[in-house]
Amino acid sequence: MKELAKSGDLAVDLASAFDASPNPYMLLTPDLRYAGMNRAYLDVTKQTREALLGRHIMEAYDGADLGENANQLRDSFERVLLTGEPHHIAVLHYPIPMPDEKGEWRTVDKYWSCTHSPVTDDDGVLRYILQHTSDITELQLLRRQTRPAGTAEIPPMSALDAIVSGRLLQRAEDIQASNRRLESERNRLVEMFMQAPGFMTVLSGPDHVFQMHNAAYGQLIGHRDIVGKPIREAMPELEGQGYFEFLDGVMATGEPYEGRQNRVRLQQTPDGPLTDVYLNFIYQPIRGETGAVVGIFVQGHDVTNDMVAAERQKLMIDELNHRVKNTLATVQSIAMQTARSHTDPAAFAEGFQARLIALSHTHDLLTRRHWEGADLRDILLHETEVHGATRVVLNGPPVILSPAAALSLGMIFHELATNAAKYGALASGEGRVFVDWAVANQSDRRLAIEWRERNGPPVAPPDRRGFGSRLIERNVRHDLAGDVKLSYPTDGFHAEISVPLDRGSPS
Amino acid sequence: MTLPLSGRKILVVEDESLVAMLLETILEDMGCETVGPISNVDEALTTVSDGTAFDGALLDVNVAGREVFPVAEALKAKGIPFVFSTGYGEGGLPPEWRGQATIQKPFTESTVCDALIKALGVSPA
Repeated sequence: MKELAKSGDLAVDLASAFDASPNPYMLLTPDLRYAGMNRAYLDVTKQTREALLGRHIMEAYDGADLGENANQLRDSFERVLLTGEPHHIAVLHYPIPMPDEKGEWRTVDKYWSCTHSPVTDDDGVLRYILQHTSDITELQLLRRQTRPAGTAEIPPMSALDAIVSGRLLQRAEDIQASNRRLESERNRLVEMFMQAPGFMTVLSGPDHVFQMHNAAYGQLIGHRDIVGKPIREAMPELEGQGYFEFLDGVMATGEPYEGRQNRVRLQQTPDGPLTDVYLNFIYQPIRGETGAVVGIFVQGHDVTNDMVAAERQKLMIDELNHRVKNTLATVQSIAMQTARSHTDPAAFAEGFQARLIALSHTHDLLTRRHWEGADLRDILLHETEVHGATRVVLNGPPVILSPAAALSLGMIFHELATNAAKYGALASGEGRVFVDWAVANQSDRRLAIEWRERNGPPVAPPDRRGFGSRLIERNVRHDLAGDVKLSYPTDGFHAEISVPLDRGSPS
Repeated sequence: MTLPLSGRKILVVEDESLVAMLLETILEDMGCETVGPISNVDEALTTVSDGTAFDGALLDVNVAGREVFPVAEALKAKGIPFVFSTGYGEGGLPPEWRGQATIQKPFTESTVCDALIKALGVSPA
């Protein structure tokens, strides 16, 4: 016992006494390595001091099949380390290897009763665990022999002794077994509480003091140190949100309170801004032995993601509905206006379809860019390509248009190209259309588009404004807040369109 | 035949020119005169407050990304009847405007006519 023999004569005497005790003792370091043992321990285990010192207790008896018993022993040590209190194991079945009469090592069944006590230094720090062991193998064997009740066998000791020791031992074993069962059940429940995907916490008393909470609750509140604190102190941001009052109400009435999709403003990161979360939860009263409410069990789920997804979906469906209905109203208008300018059903069908297809083309272009916009040149190409790639000359920089501007300009170019094909430069083989555009004023951008027709038949102003030109003028002025000028010089039709590019995102 | 709304002036607030043109055509057929059409909320508010004369209004609920309700408030304050037009369906109106005369897009000539007759309190011919 050199550790104990280190300081002074008294310690040496104690160590000698320890060594001389007929009862087996051993001393473990907190990491469960042998720090010392007395002579009786070595006698019982048939080991040498050199073989054991410094070895981990679980590795000291190689080859012994310990199974559950080793766990029982380890648990007992862990309890002592955790609580600083002594712990008893009434009956420990712990076979160990021992040499037999011929000196051959074999595993021998052994039953022990042991007590593990903490040994602390002057500062109260646990330095060793002292094991006091009694070998109760004899008692256990005796009890076995008395067991076959009703047989004629006469026990080799007095019946009374056997019964008394048997019953006592049996009772000790039973209590211990049920303690172990309760302990493992409790551990399992605590484990489930800690690992549960929903958040849980236990509040105690009228001030709602946090007793324990699980990992999910810690996550919810930004892993703050709340245990032992009243909720008003631990989570001051809840003031004015009604939750303190709900808790007070549960304490006062003993009625549970259930919240569904409740918005809670929480401090989820230290010093961070408050964030809105949506929670389904229940405040369940906990009653004491007398039936009075002594605390509240809080349990729930964070449903923020579900709420956000549902909200987004609702917005998308509303927006889709709005767009579809508006598009239908647009188509309805095209049908009605086209019908008014064409008395012949075949001409109506042709004009109506061409306009529908122009609208559909712009939709295709917008869909390609996820309805974030469309390029001006692409729209022009789409609306003019049927008239031949070389006959419409496009010249201008890339310009991304908003969906609303793209839809309007798509229809405008369709009307311009249709008119050119019917009455203008695209009606004859020689004619050309030149489309030039530029963006002016970078801070408040304005798009200027010029449509010039050349080498077509001689031009004269129309006697009445048809749907096409009304559509162009109205789209530019009304939808795009721009200016438009249509002119009819004899050498070719001329349109000038000027629209602001950055005016929010009209629907 | 006499048209029940003949000669009435109707303010149209609608940002899509094709839909506005449709409403104009429908109103014209009903013998009404169109005031506007106006394509944004601010201009509509100015028109309501600057003394422009009209007997009723057709208001698109979503005008160029903004809700038309401030215009509706102004009309209500002046006692001018109005009808909402919307693509959002029945549930598209906030609770405070539920029950207000509303037409759903796309609309027929008769739904526009009936809604205006009801809103203006004119007896059908």
